[in-house]
Amino acid sequence: MTKYVAKLLNIREIPVLIALLIVLVVTGIANPQFLSRSGAQDLFLGVAVIATLSVGQTFVITMRHVDLSVGSTAGFTAYMIGKESGDHHGLITCLFVALTIGLLVGACNGFMVAYLKLPSLVVTLSSLWIVRGLFNQIAGGNTITDFQVPVSLGYLGRHSFLDVPYIFLIAISLVLFATYVMRNARSARDLYAMGSNPPASALAGIPVARRTFFAFLACGAVSGLGGAILLARFHSADSNSGLGLELNVIAACVVGGVAIAGGVGTPLGALIGALLLQSITLALGALGVSQFWQLAVNGTLLISAISLDRYLSLRVKPTRILRAE
Amino acid sequence: MDREVLTIVGATKNFGGVRALNSASLTLYAGEIHALLGENGAGKSTLLKTLAGVHRLDSGQITLDGKVFQQGSTRLAREQGIAVIYQEPNLFPDLTLAENVFAGRQLKKGKLVDWNQMAQEAQSLFDQLGVALNPRARARGLSIADQQIVEIAKALSLNAKVIVMDEPTAALSSQEVDRLFKVARSLESQGAAVVFVSHRLDEVFALTTRITVMRDGETIGTTLTLDTTEANVIQMMVGREVTELFPKSEPNVGEVVLSVKNLSSEGLFEDISFEVRAGEIVGLAGLVGSGRSEIARAIFGIDKYSRGSVQLCGQTLQQFSPSQAMRAGVALVPEDRRLQGLFMAASIAKNSSITVLDRIRKGFLIRSKSEADLAINWGKTLQLKYSEITDPVERLSGGNQQKVVLAKWLASNPKLLIIDEPTRGIDVGTKAQVHKLLDDEAQKGLAILMISSELPEILGMSDRILVVKEGLLQREFSRAEATSEKIIAVATGAITV
Repeated sequence: MTKYVAKLLNIREIPVLIALLIVLVVTGIANPQFLSRSGAQDLFLGVAVIATLSVGQTFVITMRHVDLSVGSTAGFTAYMIGKESGDHHGLITCLFVALTIGLLVGACNGFMVAYLKLPSLVVTLSSLWIVRGLFNQIAGGNTITDFQVPVSLGYLGRHSFLDVPYIFLIAISLVLFATYVMRNARSARDLYAMGSNPPASALAGIPVARRTFFAFLACGAVSGLGGAILLARFHSADSNSGLGLELNVIAACVVGGVAIAGGVGTPLGALIGALLLQSITLALGALGVSQFWQLAVNGTLLISAISLDRYLSLRVKPTRILRAE
Repeated sequence: MDREVLTIVGATKNFGGVRALNSASLTLYAGEIHALLGENGAGKSTLLKTLAGVHRLDSGQITLDGKVFQQGSTRLAREQGIAVIYQEPNLFPDLTLAENVFAGRQLKKGKLVDWNQMAQEAQSLFDQLGVALNPRARARGLSIADQQIVEIAKALSLNAKVIVMDEPTAALSSQEVDRLFKVARSLESQGAAVVFVSHRLDEVFALTTRITVMRDGETIGTTLTLDTTEANVIQMMVGREVTELFPKSEPNVGEVVLSVKNLSSEGLFEDISFEVRAGEIVGLAGLVGSGRSEIARAIFGIDKYSRGSVQLCGQTLQQFSPSQAMRAGVALVPEDRRLQGLFMAASIAKNSSITVLDRIRKGFLIRSKSEADLAINWGKTLQLKYSEITDPVERLSGGNQQKVVLAKWLASNPKLLIIDEPTRGIDVGTKAQVHKLLDDEAQKGLAILMISSELPEILGMSDRILVVKEGLLQREFSRAEATSEKIIAVATGAITV
């Protein structure tokens, strides 16, 4: 029995899941409104964008890189869909716009990190600003308002299937699909190897540059999708859309067990991390705690996640030099 | 044993100005275990890494099974039938053992990774090697020996024509070594060519059919193992006479400066006791991994030890306190100057003055004039070549960087200098300057503990030589009685004392 418990606790997602359940139950008892239909919808709606973006971020962090440009890309995409598509266009056009922008940003990031060997932190910080700057230039003070949001997209943002919002269903499908792929596709397994031991991955014959490029490309594409979901969720977009979102995304990943040092973690874990962070935000509201505490609580959670990770990875036996005869 | 599997002819490779391989050659037959021997820096690693697809030769030809060997890609090297077991295991700590065995070429069923198949195959490889490892467990926390076993399983699973083992036994226990020998022999009988690199000559003679010796990037010769002796092989490895390159004066031995008593650290070294006196240079010899550098680090207070004591001029040094050691008068020039010895992006002046900031500060501020003066003075003493004293040290050559490390420590007026690999990667001219400097400082009364993998350096510079093997102090030689043959013999355990 204890063996199974130990085994379960060894799965990185389990402690986060337990924390999430505790938050839900405790808050639910204190304020039953929290677990009501509308409370659940708040949680799901709030998490849809972060969960989507953290799928791409997981690819990147797993390789021991980071992509800071996802917030800018998502915001820009949201605006451009509204600007270019108009309400008479369907989902296909939205997808086309989203993927074009996302792939373009992802390709630039990927090229510079994979082939020019520039550090991802700096490359994606630059693209964060470049995309945001371009966005400001194009958007100026304009706002995409509700009637400019493509009807199809607006519908997804407003309606639910069995009380679960469509956009959350889309996000969770993406998360599950990506988790399955990351577990079972050879190219995705290589990302784990690359993050786990970079010099050894080259010796093992892994095409490191190509994998790095495509992971950033995929992250860009997912960010574009995230932009579409952002527009569906808020029914509006302006030059501040998606501002600072990348930090929430990275936090969700790290809290959900995607180690910032690479090598471990799943999109499903990141989703649970996002749910935990979001539910704490909502719980503080439901419990009547000042919203000002929210950031401090998130920060504490992040530190705990990292400390746990550090502790686990330090439990390595010493190397031996003496020969045991 | 008559079919040539691999031939290397005229292999030449330069790294910057350093010639690592100079027209080296090697022939491997199907069904043989072939030892590749040589001192550190002889070119073995470069040759092996070329086979592994890490390096590409500047000139020379490699033929594998009658075809030209495609260089420069680890993946291609593997596909052409070469498997390499590196001295340092290269595992992925976060992946399962099965995935580690099949890293970069995971087994697939359709488009997906076939976890069960991989686990089964890894399990049967582990069974074949006689180890109880769980293929579904993660690699994090495995002992070095177990990691090495996983590497061996990886190499076995490739069904390679040529299997390179670069010091595979360095971390293994004797039973594990026996098991490895069995595996090597069974590979041999299946017609593979096994390249075996080891500093343990007893193992080489027990296992291999032929021996090739390299020195200074060249192949010195190949012989049947049965036709030669350990003494012969050592002679071939060392080759050159130890020359007048080393400007060593008669020492004026003074008081005991360093006294180490029964120093022990579990798994690293045991019961180490010795003294170093003012004015003498004591050489610490032994193979890489024998515990030499670990002893130095423990003396300086960086690493912990479980028993024993370190005294400097009668004062006991605490564990974990390099700053106390420094105040007491110990200086440590570490083995890797890029990582441990220098702040690469900082200026020559800043690097040279880092140990004596107290002397050149005014209140809380460092006076950059005194900083520069100090560095310029040391630059003169050490014949440092630079354009501006404010240039970052990363712009200097390796030899000049080492001089800056020395300046930094000598500036602190130490009583004891511990120097780990004083001249690694330094050209011959600068080497002689560094040696001269060490001799001068010893003449002035500095006690020096010198660790080196280069035997000529140990023999040429030391007044006394301590030889460490597997964490134990095996023997002390006086300058007069020491020879390379004796030191190699003790360090490799070819003879027991």
